[in-house]
Amino acid sequence: MTPRFLRVARWEVERGADALDRRALAGVLLALLAVGAAAPTLASNAGTPDADIYPVAVSDSSPYHEPVERSGPLRPVAPGTDAVLEISGTEVRAPDSPTGRAAAEALASAVRAYNDRLMEREPDRAAAFPVSVRLRYVEVGGSTTGGAGASTSDSGDTGTDADSGGSGATDAGGTGGGSDSSGGGAASADSLGAAGSSLLGGVQQGTPGDIRPPFPLGSLVLAFLFLVPLNVAIQAYGASVLNERINRRGEALLVTPLSRSEIVAGKTLPYLLACVAVAAVVALAVGAGFLSVLAVSALAGLFLGCTFLAALFARSFKELTFLTTTISVGLTAYAFVPAIFTDVHPIASVSPLTVVVTQLTGAPVELGTLLVSMLPTALAALVCFGLGVGIYREEDLFTQRAPPAKAIDALAAHLTLRRCALWGALSIPFVLVAELFAVAVLFVLPLAVSVPLLLGALAAIEEVAKSLFLFAGFERGRLERTDATALRAGLLSGVGFAVGEKLLLITQLVGLPTLELGRLTVAPAAASGPAALVLLLAPFALHALTAATSALGARRSTRAYLGALGLAVLLHVAYNATVVTTLA
Amino acid sequence: MLSVSGLRKEYGEVVAVADSSFEVADGEVFGVVGPNGAGKTTTLKTLAGLLEPTSGEVRVAGYDAKDPEMRRHLGWLPEESPLYEDMTAHSYLRFFADLYDVDRKTANERIASTLDRLELDQRERKLGNCSKGMKRKVAIARSLVNDPDVLVYDEPASGLDPLTTHEVIEFTGELAERGKTVVFSAHNLYHVEAVCDRIAIMNDGEIVSQGSLDEIRAAHGGTTYTVTADARVAGYDAEPVAEGYAYELDSMDDVEALRDALDGEILDIRTEESSLEDVFLSVARA
Repeated sequence: MTPRFLRVARWEVERGADALDRRALAGVLLALLAVGAAAPTLASNAGTPDADIYPVAVSDSSPYHEPVERSGPLRPVAPGTDAVLEISGTEVRAPDSPTGRAAAEALASAVRAYNDRLMEREPDRAAAFPVSVRLRYVEVGGSTTGGAGASTSDSGDTGTDADSGGSGATDAGGTGGGSDSSGGGAASADSLGAAGSSLLGGVQQGTPGDIRPPFPLGSLVLAFLFLVPLNVAIQAYGASVLNERINRRGEALLVTPLSRSEIVAGKTLPYLLACVAVAAVVALAVGAGFLSVLAVSALAGLFLGCTFLAALFARSFKELTFLTTTISVGLTAYAFVPAIFTDVHPIASVSPLTVVVTQLTGAPVELGTLLVSMLPTALAALVCFGLGVGIYREEDLFTQRAPPAKAIDALAAHLTLRRCALWGALSIPFVLVAELFAVAVLFVLPLAVSVPLLLGALAAIEEVAKSLFLFAGFERGRLERTDATALRAGLLSGVGFAVGEKLLLITQLVGLPTLELGRLTVAPAAASGPAALVLLLAPFALHALTAATSALGARRSTRAYLGALGLAVLLHVAYNATVVTTLA
Repeated sequence: MLSVSGLRKEYGEVVAVADSSFEVADGEVFGVVGPNGAGKTTTLKTLAGLLEPTSGEVRVAGYDAKDPEMRRHLGWLPEESPLYEDMTAHSYLRFFADLYDVDRKTANERIASTLDRLELDQRERKLGNCSKGMKRKVAIARSLVNDPDVLVYDEPASGLDPLTTHEVIEFTGELAERGKTVVFSAHNLYHVEAVCDRIAIMNDGEIVSQGSLDEIRAAHGGTTYTVTADARVAGYDAEPVAEGYAYELDSMDDVEALRDALDGEILDIRTEESSLEDVFLSVARA
């Protein structure tokens, strides 16, 4: 016999199909077909939207033929054919129009790039890229400043004058000031994805004209295609869940023999499968693999999990729209921003989308990257659904309370004193997601700024995670408002959290602890010897102490909780600072 | 078939139902009446397993109300009929039959039979386009797709036109004749009087009275004797009428006492049973 949740899923699909207007269905299908058709084109042209836009009439024997052929925006055509530019011998004819001038500029750039590539093959680099240094000595208050080194590439007309050469970072070897001083890393013009090493200090050669962003732009654009359907799916899913709550429609389901989990699983499955199916189609179209679909599935789970909670919290479709938009923006940023650094930085492993980008660039996906990108996301999704199932009952489903109050209800729904440790551990996936995202956002800042910010952010995230459900428990009468209960609940929460925190060890799989900021997040795991033992045990004491502090405030009032939470954060920051100092 | 013992339901500080107990026998129709906010719906939802009691025990068809297996033996009709408006009546009922593990053939037969009886013809029309009465009939049919032993109906005729109300109340009575145990609440006390074997009157979350209609009347209302006499008797409230004076008395003893005191003749004696509404009002006001 078909499992009952599958029956709910089947009927959900049938209802959805019945409800869908035929014209709307046709529109969706057309949109999908358009995406499918556009994907291969995007795959080949992503990152070079101006590819082949200027036809150039040039004969095969012309020395300009190869520069034109290798240029992105130019396309060689046979002489006599309709073209923007016509090259005859050394003469270039261009119409006096914006298009003509732009095409001529593109031709000039193409020729310069071609010449630079030729020069790159010269064994004598100094001869190929001579550097002229102009020294000017100026007397300033008895001292002399001078030697404002200015690098200039030979091809001075490319705009690499003394200013753009960059802060005097000309290397003595004269291997092209532009490349080494750019800071952004220069990639060879032919290789979009090979630029990653430059940001991490690899030596790049070339000219400023060759400088390209060190990011796999084409793959990122394609990876974005995986996110679009998720944003559409959560709108439909959220509406379906909220529809159960409007006028108590879902009450009849609650008196069937189905459990709440079966109902939720049945309602969610079609949307999850639709997301996975679309991801598989997109993967097929753009040339990503199974692991990409797997990673996007975890992300789809988180999108749906958050939307499920939002639909349970929202009091109207208007409120749901606000919440789902927030989810869309937040999770899209969470997935997309770290993935930008796929070829550049291990921090990219935070996002499941990194797996997609990695596969699209043709690189193998390591197990560590896969685990770090998927596990926190998938676990966070499961906890979202768990919290939602807890309040998927008559008493909560049909009441009109503000979303924050509903969130408190969800946290408190099945909380008991004994379960405080479990709740503490279950908060870890969210903490992991939030902390890794904080690292991803802050790592671009100078260490002097990012480290203090991160110390504060980590402490705040963890203290809120450990204590918010305790506050909910006291507010909803699930925990007795006594100091003894608060202390026990806080200790249990802290210990549970500390145990769960060891999940952070998985970040070692991608070398995150080797980063300065990564070490702040996973310090105990990064240490060794007796210090490691101390750092392994100290968190238990810290988390128990700070959680108990917050719990003592939470058992009194909201204001007391906020005050105690602030104190706990300060204690935590002090601890983090001590750890960082010790490790340093 | 159904027993409630010491049922208490609290919502935070609010006590919705306080220590209620009653039993309903097989095939009995049990009515729950009371003013708004008396705790009727909360009581019925607890019977249906929708709400978990704060304390006390509820057993339905031999199962604890919290046991999911109990739901196989229960048909629930909420006060409103919120249905999936994008489904047709037939597909909606098939959906629920499917969830109750009713095979397709049996489900189709059962659905057709119920809808025939309820005279609902437009079974392929989207529910969103149906009238309130039609939706109510579909909701009633849904409560029967699993052929339950116990039916818990909250205001089954709420908001319906008189004709549909009559059909629904009549059908509820038929269900009892078919051996179903029915518990239902109603504001309209004539419906309760028409169908129920026994009733419970609730007020402020408590059952203030329960029993058969006669027992309830005896306890809270009873018979009123209207005596018309040609003379007035000192010490009695009397209303002047065409023939003389009318006295309203509560018992035959009072009638005899009046006769003894009367300096004249008794022209007419009429008896009138208290209606449930009278009883309800006296209990509610008390």
